[in-house]
Amino acid sequence: MATAPDFETYCQQLFDHKTAAGKPEVLKGYRVLSCTQYILGPSCASYLAELGAEVIKIEAPRRGEPMRHTTPFNEPLLYPLSRWVPEAGTGLGFFGANPNEEFVSLDFHRPEARQAMLELAAKSDVMVQNYRPGTFDRWGIGYQHMSKVNPRLVYQWLGGFGGWGPGRVRASYDILGQAMGGAFGITGEAADRGGTPAKHTIWLADYWGGMMAATTILAALYWRDTVSGEGTFIEYSQVHGVTRMLESALPLYGRYGIRRERWGNWDTELCVHGIIQCGKSSYPDSKNPQEAEVGYILVSAHTDEDFKKLCDVIGKKDLATTYAKHDERVKAENQGPIYDALEVWAKDKTKEDVAKLLDKAGINNQPVWNAKEVSEHPHWKLRGAVQWIDDPTYGDLHHQGPAFKMSETPPRIKWALKPVGADNERVYGRLLGWTKEKLAKMEEAEVI
Amino acid sequence: MASEPFPKHKVLSWPAVPIPTPDEVYAGMTDQAKEYPLSLEAQLRQSENFKKPECLTRVRVLDVSKGMIIGNWCSSMLSELGADTIKCEPPAGDPLRWQTPFGRKEYMFKDAETGEPIGLHFLHEMRNKQSITLDLEKPEGRELLKKLVVHFDVLIENYPPGQFDEWGIGYRQLKEINPRLVYAWVGQKGQWGPSKDKPGNLDPTAQAACGFVHGTGLPKEFGGRPTRSAMWMADHVGGTATAMGILAALIYRDKVSGKGQFVEGTAAEGVIRILDYNWAWYGFDGSIRPRYGNWDLAINIYAVNPCKDGYFMVGGGHDRLWYRIWRTVGQTRADLEDEILDDKSLRMVVARLPHLKQVKTYTVLADWQKDFSRADAMRELLAQQVASGGVNYIDEVAEDPHFKYRGHVDQFEDRLYGKVLYGTTPFLAHKAPGRLKWIGRPLGYDNEEIYLKLLGLGPGDVAGLKKRGVV
Repeated sequence: MATAPDFETYCQQLFDHKTAAGKPEVLKGYRVLSCTQYILGPSCASYLAELGAEVIKIEAPRRGEPMRHTTPFNEPLLYPLSRWVPEAGTGLGFFGANPNEEFVSLDFHRPEARQAMLELAAKSDVMVQNYRPGTFDRWGIGYQHMSKVNPRLVYQWLGGFGGWGPGRVRASYDILGQAMGGAFGITGEAADRGGTPAKHTIWLADYWGGMMAATTILAALYWRDTVSGEGTFIEYSQVHGVTRMLESALPLYGRYGIRRERWGNWDTELCVHGIIQCGKSSYPDSKNPQEAEVGYILVSAHTDEDFKKLCDVIGKKDLATTYAKHDERVKAENQGPIYDALEVWAKDKTKEDVAKLLDKAGINNQPVWNAKEVSEHPHWKLRGAVQWIDDPTYGDLHHQGPAFKMSETPPRIKWALKPVGADNERVYGRLLGWTKEKLAKMEEAEVI
Repeated sequence: MASEPFPKHKVLSWPAVPIPTPDEVYAGMTDQAKEYPLSLEAQLRQSENFKKPECLTRVRVLDVSKGMIIGNWCSSMLSELGADTIKCEPPAGDPLRWQTPFGRKEYMFKDAETGEPIGLHFLHEMRNKQSITLDLEKPEGRELLKKLVVHFDVLIENYPPGQFDEWGIGYRQLKEINPRLVYAWVGQKGQWGPSKDKPGNLDPTAQAACGFVHGTGLPKEFGGRPTRSAMWMADHVGGTATAMGILAALIYRDKVSGKGQFVEGTAAEGVIRILDYNWAWYGFDGSIRPRYGNWDLAINIYAVNPCKDGYFMVGGGHDRLWYRIWRTVGQTRADLEDEILDDKSLRMVVARLPHLKQVKTYTVLADWQKDFSRADAMRELLAQQVASGGVNYIDEVAEDPHFKYRGHVDQFEDRLYGKVLYGTTPFLAHKAPGRLKWIGRPLGYDNEEIYLKLLGLGPGDVAGLKKRGVV
């Protein structure tokens, strides 16, 4: 029987991202039309592109979708934006939501564009769009139209509130989904500790919402290809998704009228299982304020045994007696004194100091790592969670790996993105038979 | 059915305010304008779900994960879409089953048949699953698992790295018994690599290890510190990602190879995947994404700021919305509108992104919204079609008319647990939508049925297993 180290080597070889290119892809031959902008819709299609689908991203001619014009503090940009606008670049907001895709441009609401869309849909498996509800129907390219030319089409609409109900006309963004859906109000330090509600810094409702929709699309394709032969219309509301995440909060409110509130960096169900401040910075001489700041670490010692060990490490044997039982430790009024004692102990230590002492005692912990620490960590590099790619358009780029691993048909990153309309000739020529003259005419008329 | 009468004060039954009717929702609209939303409703309403088939009826899932929500969440994604899902717990139960906020037992629900308490976190993710017990610490339990997996398409486990392999029930061994099995391991940081999971690693380990915590919360200068999600969010993201991997593996198995494979999903890598431009930005010039609180580094206006009765979100990343927002502000505070429109440095969209420009924008905007409640501010801005809304607290989420009308939040009358308010599946579809069939099961409730159905073990056999502590 294999021993544990053998198993680790076995896994490492099986899941090595460097061997992914030599393995088959699940969605080979599946075509996806991504008529999307911002993050929710694009990310949904991109997960399918990582699995090998041929995803055709369709954007507004010349300047592309708004996310290309979004970048932190307006600093980093990838040039060129498009062959028509070489002096501008694509912002990093677009990055991570559109890998492995083909990029064409099309002005959806032009009559010529409608014809092109119908022809594309006739030979596609999936269409993803996140325009306001009813817009595509008004332009004659809604599900009612597309399903007539291709009954096998899985048509995914994504957006904030959905196309029906009292809030159907409302626009939404990720942050509004988090706010209205309930995740925002319960995250952050409690009011009596000086906290306010806090946004999840990622565009969580968008990126994870796209993942939820991609999951349903895969299920719908599975149903189509193994059972029914039929496509379907799917509607994903991101605010609905966020509410789905609320865990115990809804049943608790529904039966007892108790409203879940913020509990900061601690855990409502386990103690000790929280993030504490370490008084010293790991990089006191760094000029980067992100590094000069003091450190933080998750300490996890919720079992009675681990808690006793923890009290030994911090030299507080009295706590081990007072809070020997988890039922006592986890009480709201007792968590504060326990975490305060931990922070007093950690006041003269860096997060690495604390990690070392806890590791030695066999207590689970996890320093709070910043983007640099994650990027440079051998664990994440080895696993391909972050990786340098040699992008054909933009050169060396530091990219995140796919969200999960598969032994036989791994998802993979091939390229990060391309300029607006980079694949016009290839896609319209190959799929719609457009000649050079027709392409020139369409470009001239700014249909593409 | 219900637990002890708790609390003493009277709780209004949900919904406290009636759910609006279609006539109220679409009042004042022309028949033509109503046609589109009504046709969508007819296709998507959850009340029609049971007239429709399910995507994954042919898939059987065995979830042997315990102690962390990632496995339960992953199998919930599949069970909501119709997979026949069996939660296999140790005889003492999944530890999550007994967890309750602040240890408050009075929050737990009890089922009508056994009176056994169940934590609400666990109950919410026990949807559409049956419960059996099996002690994998015992050789006899492991032999039973080998017999069980013959009948399954998917197995989900989260034991410490290599544990199942050592026990002879890992991917390498089970694929010999059932080559069609899709075997999924889920965890925080992975089962291989220098920082692989240690026993007992739980979310928010992954949140801290992936850069998420560092980037969430207010900057130090605003009195903030790195902040975790209130939810076991990384487990949700990693669980959804793993469900995608499982579905992809099923498609490949049934269309191409006829064989299963090994899927690995971690909470941290799920979140790393969606931490947008963090990695590109670091690669670009070594930038470490800073915490930016409830504002956004890359979009202005796109923020939550305080208002009269809470916190309020306004969004307008392009010019059309920018001017609509300030026009709205100007209706009551012309001085504030002028202050922004007279500032030449704020004319261009991209020129509004540097930090001090964001400080100016939100100082002025907050000056306006401090005099408005969330509801009033929203009414003003929605009249201009500006995306906006309040930060909802849980009671407001439960009573939001839009959510109630569409059934984002609903009350389910469970045969065992009575009325349970819950977050419904967001998998709405025309032909094969997700749905809730039951909310949960007591520990080992389905032992007799499952062991008979799959392994031919009669009540006597199961009683024997129980006596030996195997189930």
